[in-house]
Amino acid sequence: MNKKLHISDAYLILVLLLMYLPIFVVIVYSFNGSKLSTVWGGFSFQWYRNLIHNSQLMQCLKNSLILAFLSCSVSAVVGTIGAVGITRIRWRTRGFLESVCIIPIMIPEIILGMVFLAFFSFLGMKFGMLTLVIAHTAFCIPYIFMMVKARLAGMDSSLEDAALDLGAPPVRVFLDITLPLITPAVLSGTLLAFAMSLDDVVISFFVTGPNTNTLPVKIFSQMKTGVTPEINALCTLMLAATFLIVILSRLISKKFK
Amino acid sequence: MKKLLSLAACAALFTALLSGCGSQQKQTLNILTWDGYIPSNVISEYGADNNVNINISNFTTNEEMLTKLQSSEASQYDLVIGSDYIVDIARKQNLLAEIDKTKMNNFNNIGKEFLNQYYDPESKYAVPYSAGTPLIVYDPSKVDTDIKGYADLWNPSLADKLVIMDDARNVIGITLKTMGKSLNETDPAVLQQASEKLNALRPNIRLLDYNNPQEAMLSGEAAVGYMFTSQVAAVLSERPDFKVVYPWEGMGFGIDNWFVPAKATNKDAAFDFLNYMYEPERFAYIAEQIQYLCVNNASEKYLSDAYKNNTALHIPSEVLGDTEFIEDIGTDAAAVYDEIWTKFKQQ
Repeated sequence: MNKKLHISDAYLILVLLLMYLPIFVVIVYSFNGSKLSTVWGGFSFQWYRNLIHNSQLMQCLKNSLILAFLSCSVSAVVGTIGAVGITRIRWRTRGFLESVCIIPIMIPEIILGMVFLAFFSFLGMKFGMLTLVIAHTAFCIPYIFMMVKARLAGMDSSLEDAALDLGAPPVRVFLDITLPLITPAVLSGTLLAFAMSLDDVVISFFVTGPNTNTLPVKIFSQMKTGVTPEINALCTLMLAATFLIVILSRLISKKFK
Repeated sequence: MKKLLSLAACAALFTALLSGCGSQQKQTLNILTWDGYIPSNVISEYGADNNVNINISNFTTNEEMLTKLQSSEASQYDLVIGSDYIVDIARKQNLLAEIDKTKMNNFNNIGKEFLNQYYDPESKYAVPYSAGTPLIVYDPSKVDTDIKGYADLWNPSLADKLVIMDDARNVIGITLKTMGKSLNETDPAVLQQASEKLNALRPNIRLLDYNNPQEAMLSGEAAVGYMFTSQVAAVLSERPDFKVVYPWEGMGFGIDNWFVPAKATNKDAAFDFLNYMYEPERFAYIAEQIQYLCVNNASEKYLSDAYKNNTALHIPSEVLGDTEFIEDIGTDAAAVYDEIWTKFKQQ
């Protein structure tokens, strides 16, 4: 019994190390005084200072955050409506429809990127924030759709029936019964979609325009000249923000329970 | 009702975004480039002095950039950078506009050895920006033999001491060079011999790294390296005691060029910005920042000693005369190269 516990502990530690050690290294090196990642040049806030003064990088970060916020907002609404709608239909095509709705995240990104490039060019649209938001919304919807659908499947449908039976109009039932019950799923789906939108390179590159450079595209492009330690600093700040959001969402979901 | 409201809010945001795009008074110059390829203060100073709004967007590979250029809306970019072989493809597809040299006086300062290359025989479309040649660099304290060329990399005393770039064309290319052949050899029989010769190099290789081989040299993990110019330059600026080899078999060469897409809407602004970058003193600053060979002859007197003493960046032009480009060899030959490389890596 005791030995078993030891193995599982070691396993847990190993997996956590694998997941967090690289992140820890990035955090440590964001405070490295040297430009080289193999040499420790003393503790310094130099890269954080550079980061704040790097207006191009900040602009890209802003573009990425706006893009993630807009595409998540739109896809949260569309995905939720879709999930609620699909559980109400009893057609034979339902299974087929469900598959169609989640296909965008199964298609390889590069293909989706090319498809959007060809499509927007065909329509003669100007490449920029609008095309970015449309493309990102398309691959963000399935995340929210799947989360909400799973939540709805586990929900007791007699709650809705009871409300309807007591004379509440369907809109009221949705707002007062269904929506509060699925809110945690909507939120976690949206957070997931937000992360997906924020780190997308391939699709973004194909649908972006001349004045909407996004952060991941910029970082990837640094491969040519070497990634600067400012990126380590930025990663550290974004990690801090991510942990904060996760903690907040835990607190919120606790409250809901 | 709430949903309707949020939908309306989204619609309002969209329209605000759309109208925001159309209301710019300033002239706009859209540049597509690798990140960090133009020092940011050069961009901001030009923008402020000339009341031009410069938008920088980035790409990762030449092929991605070409795809973007080929799509019908590519007219959004006014100035684009690309490597030699991709310029060749773009030129043959009529995607490039001629450089108006009357609007770019500083074009005359560009060294002859960088002009009239195979990808642009009359230097009409492309402006050479950064040139480089992969070199051998080594730590003399850890190497007993005197390295003079690629062939010395096969020396058994270098077992497990090499870091070389993870790139099929370059590494098979130098193998061909040791056999007295071209970097662009397509004869299957010769390539087969090269494959066998390359496999014999395997025991000497410590690691293959495309993006950061300089780190292995500086950390001492490897004693000999074969890597790109800016990487060798980075090694030398940390360790001036390391030695650079200009291989006697002949060197590979690569030039990244600026060009103006045929559909660009603001060509004059692009020429003007090019002229600005190629002002002798400013170009010396750029070459030092991006750490490539300086293609601008007039910049010579503005280069710092640190740059001039860096033997990876300051290569005598008589040595450069012997260079050869890695060219597009067609899909059939490329497949053979890939196969040789895969076999080599799987050993």
